[in-house]
Order: sequence, then C-alpha cells, then structure tokens
Amino acid sequence: MNRKIFSTGTFARFFIGVMVLVVLASCGGGSGGSSTSTTITPATNNSVALTVGFGPNGQSSGITNGLFTTVTVCQHGTSNCATIPNVLVDTGSVGLRIVSSEISSLMLPTIADQTQDELVECVQYGDTSYSWGPMQLADVQIAGETASNIAIQALGAAPSSFTVPATCLTTPVNPNLPNGGNEDTVATLGANGILGIGDAAWDCGTSCVGITTGSTYAGYPYYICPTGQACEEIGVPTSDQAVNPVAFFSSSDTNGVMIYLPSVGATGATSVPGTMYFGVGTQSDNALGTATLYAMDPCGYFPTVTYGGLAYTDTSCSSGTGGIGGILDTGSNPLFVSDATTLGSLGISDCAQGTAGYGYYCVTNGPATLSNIALSGYNGVGSGNVSLSIADATTLFTANPTFAVFNNLGTDSGTSPATDFFDLGLPFFLGRTVSIGIAGGSVPNGASAPYGFVAF
Amino acid sequence: MKTTLRVLLILTLGSVPAWAALGQYEASVSADQQYMKSEDHVQVFQAYKVHTLTTPNGTTVREYVSPQGLVFGLSWTGRFMPDLHQLLGNYETNLQTATPAQTQIRHLRGLTVKTSDFVYTNFGVMRMWKGSAYVPSLVPSNVSVEVVR
Repeated sequence: MNRKIFSTGTFARFFIGVMVLVVLASCGGGSGGSSTSTTITPATNNSVALTVGFGPNGQSSGITNGLFTTVTVCQHGTSNCATIPNVLVDTGSVGLRIVSSEISSLMLPTIADQTQDELVECVQYGDTSYSWGPMQLADVQIAGETASNIAIQALGAAPSSFTVPATCLTTPVNPNLPNGGNEDTVATLGANGILGIGDAAWDCGTSCVGITTGSTYAGYPYYICPTGQACEEIGVPTSDQAVNPVAFFSSSDTNGVMIYLPSVGATGATSVPGTMYFGVGTQSDNALGTATLYAMDPCGYFPTVTYGGLAYTDTSCSSGTGGIGGILDTGSNPLFVSDATTLGSLGISDCAQGTAGYGYYCVTNGPATLSNIALSGYNGVGSGNVSLSIADATTLFTANPTFAVFNNLGTDSGTSPATDFFDLGLPFFLGRTVSIGIAGGSVPNGASAPYGFVAF
Repeated sequence: MKTTLRVLLILTLGSVPAWAALGQYEASVSADQQYMKSEDHVQVFQAYKVHTLTTPNGTTVREYVSPQGLVFGLSWTGRFMPDLHQLLGNYETNLQTATPAQTQIRHLRGLTVKTSDFVYTNFGVMRMWKGSAYVPSLVPSNVSVEVVR
C-alpha cells in the first residue's frame, strides 16, 4: 500500500516532528517580519575564516590539506542554533552534510512522505567509503549570510534498521576501512560535516526528479525505507535535495565563492588561516580585479589542459569516454595530475606500499616542476598557464610529522594519458585567490559562462 | 513491477554467467547488459572488440574483449557510478585488499590501484564519475592499455 503514492515518481514533502517546530517557533517570538526600522541595511558580512589543517582528528588520523570553516545550523525561524566548527569546505560537491551528533541539540524536521517514511540520502566517495543519513530542513548561517529552510543531510541519523542499499554502494567498500567504510562519525569523516559549495545549486538536480522505484541501475542517491521493506529509490524534487547554501543565501552574494589561502614553503606548514568571501564581484571585497576568468564546459570542467605536448581533453562530457580535462577542487587533498608513468621522466613515481607517502607521488632528486600547464576555458573564454611543484610525499610526511599543509602533494589522476586529467586540488589554492562560480549565476565582467566559471 | 522484473532477469540470463565481466568470457557482457538494463553497441577493431553499454541513468560502461574472447578491460563514466561489484567480479577482492586503510593517505575523491595483475582507477566529484580497470596479463600483446578509456 505504501508504494502507491510514489507511483508518479514524485516525492510529496511532509515533515516528521513538524509540530514540535511550530511550538518552538511560537515561543521564540521577536524575530522577523514585523520590523519597521528605517535604518539603512549595511552590506552583508560575506567573509568567513578558513583553516587548512588536519581538522578535528588531529595529526594521528586527520586529513592532510583539509580546508575547514564554521557553519551555524538553526531550527528554521528560531534562534535555536548549533555553531559547528571544523566543517570541510568542498568545492567538488554540493550540499551541507553535518554529522548528526553535532546537531543533536536541535530538533530539525526530517523530510518525509505522507506515511512518514523518511527521505534518506546515500553518498559514496571515490575511495569506496560512504555516508548515509536523512534529509532535514534548517536555516544555515555562515558569516552574515543566511540560507533559510534549506534541505541538509544529517549524517548517521537514519534508523539503524535502514540498511544502506546495494544500489548506492556500487563500489566494493573495503571492510578494512575505519568503521567499515562508513563516514557518518567525526572519527571516520575527519570533519564535523561537509560544506559542498561546488558549481551547481542542487546535488543531483533534475536527474533525480522523475525516478520511479526499480528504474535506476546503480549509484542513485535518494531512498525511502518503508517499514518492513528494503530501502528503495525515490524521485525527489530539487527543493528536497541537498542544496548549495550559497545559491540560496538571502543576499545577492549567490553566484559563487572566492577563496584566499596564503602560500606555504616547500616543506609545508602545520596549519594556515584563510578567508572565504561569498559572491564573486558582488561586493567591494570580492571583486575579480585582474584575475583571469575561465568559463567551464557543460560538465563544469576546463575543456582542455595541455601539458608536455599532450592535450588532456574533456571528452567524457560530450562522448562519454576518455578524460575530463581539468577541474578545481578544494576537497581534493593532493593534486591529481596526469599519471606516474607519464611523468616518469621528471623522476615521479608512485610511493611504494608500506612507505609514509603511499597513495601519493614520490620524487627522486628533489621536487619536480610541471611548468607551462596550459588551461583553456569553454569557447575560448579564459586561457593561461600555471606551473605545479610535486615533492616526495614520503619525505614531506616523515620530515615534519606535525605538518598538515603541503602545496606540492600529488598523485595519479588515472593510469594513462587516455584517461588522465588535471585536478587542481587544495595545494593549488595555497598562495592564490580562487573564485568558483555557480552554473546559472551571474558572471562578473559580462563574460559568457553559462555552465559556471573559475577565476584566479 | 520490481518482482516481475527480477523474475524476467533470472529467466533470461539462462546459462551465461550472472555475475562479473572482468576476466570472464564475452558472454558475461550480456549478463551485465541485462543487469544494467542497457543497450549494447559493439565495435570491432582488428585486435579487440568493445561493447558499449549505456544505462538508463546515463552511465556509460565499456567492456574490452580480446581475440581469445576474454574481457580484459573496463571503463565507466557518468553521473552515477556503475555497479562495480557486478563489473569487477572476482577482481573485487584485489581492490579491497589494496584500498588504503590509513587515514593520512586517504583521499575521498578517488583511488588508483596498480598491482601486477590488476590496474584500477576511479575518481568522482559529485555528479561525475569516471574510472577504468584492466588485467595486464589479459591485454592482447599488440594492444595498448590506452585503448581502455
């Protein structure tokens, strides 16, 4: 019987615990709507402090090159809030996901259908680990910015009877990973949450709207788990999907972010502070200045990166095969560039298993420099050259075990130039001001970038 | 509807292997095709064959078959990851044992594994996944591994 209401493939939103919310809101009083003040509204405070470091788990099990900030999550329309530090800032994903223990003081309404089946999302990561938790509604505040009543994910808050569906966990999860690959605790995630502020407004978008049960094959993110039944995929309107909070800020700073991180020396640093500005070209503190703006292709990537006489082209976007050109991603802790075989003439190799740098590049005879990496924007909007340094990861980690920040940490993007690409991860952001523009948002300087942009 | 579909799948799989493509005979591709509810377009080259399977999700999976009739390589790209349990088959354990378990080397975005007889790479940012896998000993001697893409 439960299934009948989902036969159209759409998800009707109701809220578990909504009555609690109404009571609290009516007791709170005082805020919103009734002000008749004539005070001129000052510009929205659009800057928030960042830290690059290991994060909450510290040196022993923290994240190398982790980028963190503080986010405040509130019950909608109330001052009942939780301020959450150490939230990972990730321009490679979309949506705010908070470990549920960090918001346990709040009673956020869970998005559910009319039979009170919770909407649950599964996210699997490229290293085979995954997160799983219900979608809830909250007001999200960062600096002076507010996104009101948006869907966020509460990691680890799904009832234990909800078995994570196999259609989500499509990559063999390594049982040897901490907690069996589940990333729903601070100890395993290495952060109190993830602030996904990539180049889109929703984490799935229209691809997840018209889904009917049994129609998907693998990797689908949204599920409901009717009582006594296995969790099954469900179509979800964008308003119930995890959203990019920036795109839903009430201010005009909604077209992206500008991230400034200081430079570090070649041996790294323990941690460094930084600043993130919301909006690009929307206020006096986030003007592009002389930065080069690159339009991204319809998939959100640099269509072509040329290095060493080879063109790394985004053919995946148009033909579904080959490479993806290049991307910028704060959530990539190394530079995923080319592959060790192709870069072998520079002394680059994969660090051997059992060494401190395993999983990253090692380099013989000192750091290697990849110079004249040419980046091209979509339809010729933006072009320029960058150079990258790659150091020996084992040396970096063993020489200074307390260091978490390295501007020269690299690893393979693929296994041959046919599939390789250039992912300019967190090391690239050090010593730069980098802007990430959301697809469909306003573009500074009138440039043509309908699928989003980056600038630096 | 779901139940009916499963029954149909069991009936139509018949005698071909129901699980796994990598390292298996070409017939296993049709099991993957049915499992993924996909179209199968075949391209024949001089030294190998490529089956291109496109799922209703929009994910594209390519399976590379040697003249001996064995699947020596796979690649995938799309908004969602394909079911690698299905596609990697017995090689799934190679991936699991090689997955870094230490946190410092962990990168959520992706993973490359290179062993003597299993080469794998997978990378995903939200809404885009790509990867490939091949078995070096099964790649035809006159074929570059770069065809697996």
